[in-house]
Amino acid sequence: MTTPETNPARRPPFRLPDEIGVIVALVSMMVIIGVARPRFLNPINLFALLGNTTFLGMLAIGMVFLLAIREIDLSVGWMFNFSAVFSALLMVGGFDPWLAAFAGVLFGAGLGLVNGIISVGLRLPAIIVTLGTFSMFQGLSLVVNQGRAIVPSDTSSSYFAVVSSKLFGVVPVAALVFVGLAIAMHLLLHRTRFGYRVQAVGSNPDAARLAGIPTGLVRLQTLVLMGAICGLSGVMYVGFRGAIDPNEGSDFVLVVVAAVIIGGTPLSGGHGTVIGAVIGMMIIQVISSGLIFFGIDATWSTFVTGAVIVLAVSLDQLIKFQRTRRAERAKARPDP
Amino acid sequence: MTAQPLTTRPLISVEHLTKRYGGVIALADMSLSVAPGTIHAVVGENGAGKSTLMKVLAGAVRPDSGTIMLDGSPISIDSPAAARALGIGIVYQELSLFPERSVLANLFVNREPTRNGLISLTEMENQSRAILAELGLSVDVRQPLSRLSIGEQQLVELCRVLLENPRLLILDEPNSALNKAETERLFAVLETLRRRGITMLYVSHRLEEVFAISDAITITRNGRDVRTAPTSALTIPEVIEGMIGQQREALFPPPLPRLPGKPERTLSVSGLSGGKLENVSFSARSGEVVGFAGLEGSGVSDLLELLFGTRGASAGSVRFPDGRGLPKSPTDAARRGVCLVPADRRRNGLMLDKSILFNISNVVVGACNDGPLWFSPDTALARAQRQIEALRIKAQSAFVPAQSLSGGNQQKVVIGKWLEIGPDVFLLDDPTRGVDVGAKREIYGLIRKMSADGGIVLFSSTELPELIGLCDRILVIYQGRLVGEVSGTALDTKAVLHMTNTGQMPDGDHSSKGSA
Repeated sequence: MTTPETNPARRPPFRLPDEIGVIVALVSMMVIIGVARPRFLNPINLFALLGNTTFLGMLAIGMVFLLAIREIDLSVGWMFNFSAVFSALLMVGGFDPWLAAFAGVLFGAGLGLVNGIISVGLRLPAIIVTLGTFSMFQGLSLVVNQGRAIVPSDTSSSYFAVVSSKLFGVVPVAALVFVGLAIAMHLLLHRTRFGYRVQAVGSNPDAARLAGIPTGLVRLQTLVLMGAICGLSGVMYVGFRGAIDPNEGSDFVLVVVAAVIIGGTPLSGGHGTVIGAVIGMMIIQVISSGLIFFGIDATWSTFVTGAVIVLAVSLDQLIKFQRTRRAERAKARPDP
Repeated sequence: MTAQPLTTRPLISVEHLTKRYGGVIALADMSLSVAPGTIHAVVGENGAGKSTLMKVLAGAVRPDSGTIMLDGSPISIDSPAAARALGIGIVYQELSLFPERSVLANLFVNREPTRNGLISLTEMENQSRAILAELGLSVDVRQPLSRLSIGEQQLVELCRVLLENPRLLILDEPNSALNKAETERLFAVLETLRRRGITMLYVSHRLEEVFAISDAITITRNGRDVRTAPTSALTIPEVIEGMIGQQREALFPPPLPRLPGKPERTLSVSGLSGGKLENVSFSARSGEVVGFAGLEGSGVSDLLELLFGTRGASAGSVRFPDGRGLPKSPTDAARRGVCLVPADRRRNGLMLDKSILFNISNVVVGACNDGPLWFSPDTALARAQRQIEALRIKAQSAFVPAQSLSGGNQQKVVIGKWLEIGPDVFLLDDPTRGVDVGAKREIYGLIRKMSADGGIVLFSSTELPELIGLCDRILVIYQGRLVGEVSGTALDTKAVLHMTNTGQMPDGDHSSKGSA
């Protein structure tokens, strides 16, 4: 064997970020709508759009970690709802709203811990466990809110003012928190030991276990993180809207998973993109809001969202075929 | 299906076959002719073009140029279906069966016989009975395939192909998952088939077996056939020389001098039970390579799993070099410097869709908790570069996915990720399975280095010559019990083979001692 012909470059070969596809899709959709209806591109409208994306978008960010670890959490909508109800009830009960909001986030993390303990302890896929806790959390939430919206009566606290305020009169603070969370979670996934382990377990759970990676712990942490993010989204929702409806969150999970998939995170696990999920959620929002601008019945937006998912996964699969072919080609290379 | 008289006209021949994938040449100028009724072996290192050649004959790949002649007339094989129609059947290296379905369902995939428009199990049984008997496979054909041993499953696959009445049977490493006894059974079947006049093309890495079974050998290298000769006119060193292109030193590098200044450490196991293992005691010290021989299912893999913490022990005590007992989990093992190189690297050793860079960081970042919380791509890259250089991993860069590497280089990545933590105890479970000769030799060198650097190396293998060439002593496990130990001058294939298959010490052997 002569010297290895390995001459590894110091840097990865330059390639466009994986998210480029969804970014182009989002921008071109906005341009198309904007050309036809210039009102759409008004900054106030755009920031309002971003604001609407916040609560579901946060959930999508957490879901990226779950898909990356080859799991899925169906209970996110009710963790969101239950945490929001919990903190709203604390506020009604006279607790300081800031404190109540903090407790709501912890409560969400606790719900995630329930999912985590059952699923890791019994080695069940999270999708099965959360299929059950979906209804458990919904039921418990209904028990405590008695089927009525919870409205904290005293909204004089700075909490409500801050969460629902707009920086410079246009940028919703909630949207800023959302963007901040997205950046933090992007770094968590790609630049920390935890994020590395999530990707490793998702890529090959057996190999991860045999490499000494504490797969159970990582799975548990991921589910707790998901719960905490649901809690954060829930308490911010209470601050933003000033109330929590008993049914808010019932239809979240499919939209959230859709946004993550549109964003380019594969169901097969191994890697994920937080940025993609954020863009994916924006695409869904732009579709429904664009339809309104064109005066099309909003009920169509469900159909269009579905069509976009099918389109996104089809494109993704085509790209994968291409990559597999390239990898096979590289493998067929004879040893020198 | 009648026996054909030996004629000078080859059953199948290919001439000047070429195949390029982009800029990569898989077949440069491959010619081959196979006499009817013979077993013709094709050997070569990974990337020599033998697999591509088999895929061309099976209709899975179309060549760029060259001719294929069947019975002296040129043919073109456009698809697997066309190959089947021409009487060419292929048994792939990896089983292509359905584990949850019955044996019968697997035998008649997609060509189920029907009666009155319904699939008829009785008809299937009638059609397959004769062939199953011939293959010596007496199992309940209605039970799920997964209940069968790997060896039996391999025979089912063979049976499936034979049911299509092939004239040419291609076997691409059919026994890479088989133990000695199953391999012998397979070979007996191949002999029977040869007597029936079926021509076979046999691809394998295991040269001893190639010599045992084949009538003629074609040696391939870099997409060309370099030599074809009757097996009786060749020797193993000659074949290896042809595969590699130049005479090399012996396959097994000599032991390296011990690194000075390393304290002597020991791993002692007493009365260990768990899984199939019963009451096993031995000790191993740093600087020696201890081999473990045993048939599939004898308990050798269970022993390594116990020592790595993936399986719980039911009795016994173990003392690791750090003075503690068995690891509680693989994570615990990794953090205490115990490493396992698993037998099935694609399933258990690698994240195939991830880069070399990612895989090399598996243990340091994934298992150990003493590093920074931050994951630095630059540090990970430096790590990967270090191992690519040290282990001479052949790759374009550290950024290519592990699945793009050849088997030998994949295994080096698995070893490299463990070397990053500098383990004290190396548990190697058949680390050269499905690896070509050149890479095998490099892996042997790495094992020597592990032990010279003061590591305790426990090495299990399904290939006896490998154990004998590399180990200081070999412990033989038979049906969960440690039945003996051979070392020094007693280290020879016959003694170990005798013990692995019978559990008894060979008679009149003075220098080996029993210890169970």
